Amino acid sequence: MRDKLTPKNIIFCLCICFLPLLMYGIDGIERFLSIDFGWPGGDYVIRIVVRACLYMLLAVGLNIVCGFTGLLDLGYVAFYLIGGYTAGLLMQRLGVPYWFALPLAVLHGTVWGLLRGIPTLRLTGDYFAIVTFGFAELFFRVVRNEQWLIGAPNGQLRGIPSPSLFGITFNQNWHNYYHILILLIFVVFITYRLQNSRVGRAWVAIREDENAAESMGINVGRYKSLAFAVSAAIGALGGCFIAQFQVNISAPFFEFWESILILCMVVLGGMGSIRGAMIGAAILGSLGEILREVLTVLTRFTEYPELVGARYLIFGIVLILLMRFRPGGLIFKKT
Amino acid sequence: MMAQILEQLINGLVLGGIYALIAVGYTMVYGIIQLINFAHGEIYMFGAYIALMFIVMGVPFWIAVPLSMLLCAILGMLIDFVAYRPLRNAPRLSALITAIGISLALQNLARMIWSARPRQFPSESLPSFFLSEVTQTGEVINAILLPGGGILPFRDVFILLLAVVLMVVLNMLIYLTKIGKAMRACAQNAVAANLMGIKTNHVIAVTFAIGSALGAVAGIMVGLSEVVTPTMGYYKGVAAFAAAVLGGIGSISGAIFGGIVIGIAEVFGADIHSGYRIAFAYIIMILVILIRPSGLFGKSTSTRA
Repeated sequence: MRDKLTPKNIIFCLCICFLPLLMYGIDGIERFLSIDFGWPGGDYVIRIVVRACLYMLLAVGLNIVCGFTGLLDLGYVAFYLIGGYTAGLLMQRLGVPYWFALPLAVLHGTVWGLLRGIPTLRLTGDYFAIVTFGFAELFFRVVRNEQWLIGAPNGQLRGIPSPSLFGITFNQNWHNYYHILILLIFVVFITYRLQNSRVGRAWVAIREDENAAESMGINVGRYKSLAFAVSAAIGALGGCFIAQFQVNISAPFFEFWESILILCMVVLGGMGSIRGAMIGAAILGSLGEILREVLTVLTRFTEYPELVGARYLIFGIVLILLMRFRPGGLIFKKT
Repeated sequence: MMAQILEQLINGLVLGGIYALIAVGYTMVYGIIQLINFAHGEIYMFGAYIALMFIVMGVPFWIAVPLSMLLCAILGMLIDFVAYRPLRNAPRLSALITAIGISLALQNLARMIWSARPRQFPSESLPSFFLSEVTQTGEVINAILLPGGGILPFRDVFILLLAVVLMVVLNMLIYLTKIGKAMRACAQNAVAANLMGIKTNHVIAVTFAIGSALGAVAGIMVGLSEVVTPTMGYYKGVAAFAAAVLGGIGSISGAIFGGIVIGIAEVFGADIHSGYRIAFAYIIMILVILIRPSGLFGKSTSTRA
């Protein structure tokens, strides 16, 4: 796909680049006019946007295994966890600067992606899914139980320092926005290049028919391993970001349902499409926040505190309905 | 020491019986439609909650259990009818994602209806022989005194016996009745069975009903000895799936054997490190899948698509 510099595209890019300015601008207008028109505040909105971008990054990463090679990965959150805790521990315990912790954490995630990938190469479908699930769950248990490593029960890691460069500490919300934006653009660029290369075509060939791909001379094991490694690296990158963004992380951040949420995003957008994964993540990532707000308000009216759980109920129903009526994804229909 | 091991072994057996009941549900469905029914764990959780609800409403225990089994059987068939039947010919990945969607929806539905707070069966509404205790004079009530000082509550004996009885009944159903024959035929080759005049969809619905009813019993049994929470299905469900994989998925005797092995492994694993209690089941499962995907009793196939 080759995008041209049409006026629409230029305006879109400018909006993305100056989004924080727009958001804080509304704050300013509100203060200037001293009218409260219900704007939740620039910082809050930026945080939601940052979260949505993070989910876009993760969805693009998961899409490599789920969408390109067609293997259902239920344990993607494991790499997110590995990235988060590696970066968090390196920075908080050893005082390693973020810019060194980041590549180390990504490397660590990649190593585990390969370690998980090699024995599961010959598995397909359900068995691959269940092994990935078990793998992620084991990591979750380790983080929750190994106090000597994390320093507190339940995987609580507090006070992860913000990255700094030339004496500037990047701890503002708009810093984080540009931070994740750069990471996201980098990852999307790489995945597009991979998709449109020999590697991407090999992945799709494996998805469509593994035996046929192998007989055409594609080294299935090598290309699958590469997919696992790239996907794991992107997951770990997301983990690095969340560690410094949240400052305090704990085990519940990396529960099984987080994997499912990311999977929902990929499925919603249509598996195998980078743009689809990103749009799916943008919708569900922000929908989650909006639903949380709406449901909290509803809770106040109905005095029914369990309504907040309806968020995941809705995600579940979305998955069922999508598979029933639009298995190719809501946004992009696979041919 | 020996007495402790004996007691833990019996605890493992009891837990294994429960796992076997759940694992049978996974293995039967997988045997016929080659789908990991992720929602099975949630059905088992619903079984516990429905029975709990009836008991709180004042329904006697012995009526609440069959009622819960019946409702769960209906729930199982409903899930099959609404979600899985339209996807019979769709790619396997679609059905698997649907199963996850149902699991997610049901778990959070339960959280909304019954709240996330762990609950227990009210002990005064249960049959009196479930309440075992050791009096101050050292007298053991409603329990068997094991050699070495451990006690085995009647409740655990009941769970184990019930599991055995249900398994025997299930085996009779599968090997002696007409519907059992139809189920075995579908498991061997669903298309050929259909050509021979077996209504495949009916057979699948019955399979879901039986599996769900057994799952409901397991849920109630867990509720008796532990607590009832919306997430119980997720943890125990995967451990039970591990049992089904260990025994060889599709094989019922394998599921029973696998359930007992996983149950014992979990109880002894909890002695080593309680935080990794459930992790032992996962480790066994992963190793079995990697080393011998067909399980201990399953027919060996080159690949499982």
